[in-house]
Amino acid sequence: MMRPLPLAALLAFAAALSVAAVTAQVAPETATVAAPAASDLAPAAAPVLVGNAENGRILAYTCQGCHGVTGYKNAYPSFRVPLIGGQSAEYTAQALHEYKAGNRKHPTMQAQAESFSSQDIADLSIYLSSLK
Amino acid sequence: MSNVVHAPRLALAMLAALALAACSQNKDVAAGDPGHASGQHGSSSSAGLPGGRIPIGEQLASAKGKATGQSCIDCHGAEGNAPIDPTYPLLGGQYADYLAHSLQAYRAGDRQHALMTSQATGLSDQDISDLAAYFGSRPTKLRDLHGL
Repeated sequence: MMRPLPLAALLAFAAALSVAAVTAQVAPETATVAAPAASDLAPAAAPVLVGNAENGRILAYTCQGCHGVTGYKNAYPSFRVPLIGGQSAEYTAQALHEYKAGNRKHPTMQAQAESFSSQDIADLSIYLSSLK
Repeated sequence: MSNVVHAPRLALAMLAALALAACSQNKDVAAGDPGHASGQHGSSSSAGLPGGRIPIGEQLASAKGKATGQSCIDCHGAEGNAPIDPTYPLLGGQYADYLAHSLQAYRAGDRQHALMTSQATGLSDQDISDLAAYFGSRPTKLRDLHGL
């Protein structure tokens, strides 16, 4: 049923796992989060990146141009850019790695993600997940 | 003056209007507004989707997908607010037009996920609008970055 994931998706998955590990270290209250349901996939070896929320806050300045304007609309196709504050660090990291790998298409987001290191992504993801 | 003389000016004005529309920042839209896919704005989105129906979307959200045997809420939790896996996003209260765009992207292959690609493949435009309207109308744990 589940087809093999492309390499990039595996990498993103591995990165998400890294962030999950980070979350467990940084925020003890989230340490009980269950392992990803897709854990039957062979996890690729990836360095565990500790997300730095303070650095993420600084990096997130560039996100403000679109995600900081309430109701800001993407044009053609027309849709409001998503609410990203409060989303899980694992999801956000995966999304950014997918943009970076070109598996998720959006010119602006692909360009942004390409400019981020894996550490930057970990930092941003931890920060964004902390927003309430 | 004939209309022929005005035609170039009219074309310029229309171009300018298009350019402005492309840069629009709709600051007045409330975060909880289900958006275009809800049909509440009386028009379909530029992606050509029909209006979304929240009650139908609610039913669809718990209907098992043919390919995966899973429903939306099986993985994303009640009202899209309790994902069973940390890599699965919160959907509750997310902008409906963004949710619709995401499902269209999965369906078109512009976004890939082992489960979501299969899940979205069988959805019609109307299904997508209905689902987006439903999840967009739920309470949210999400926010934008305004004022941070």
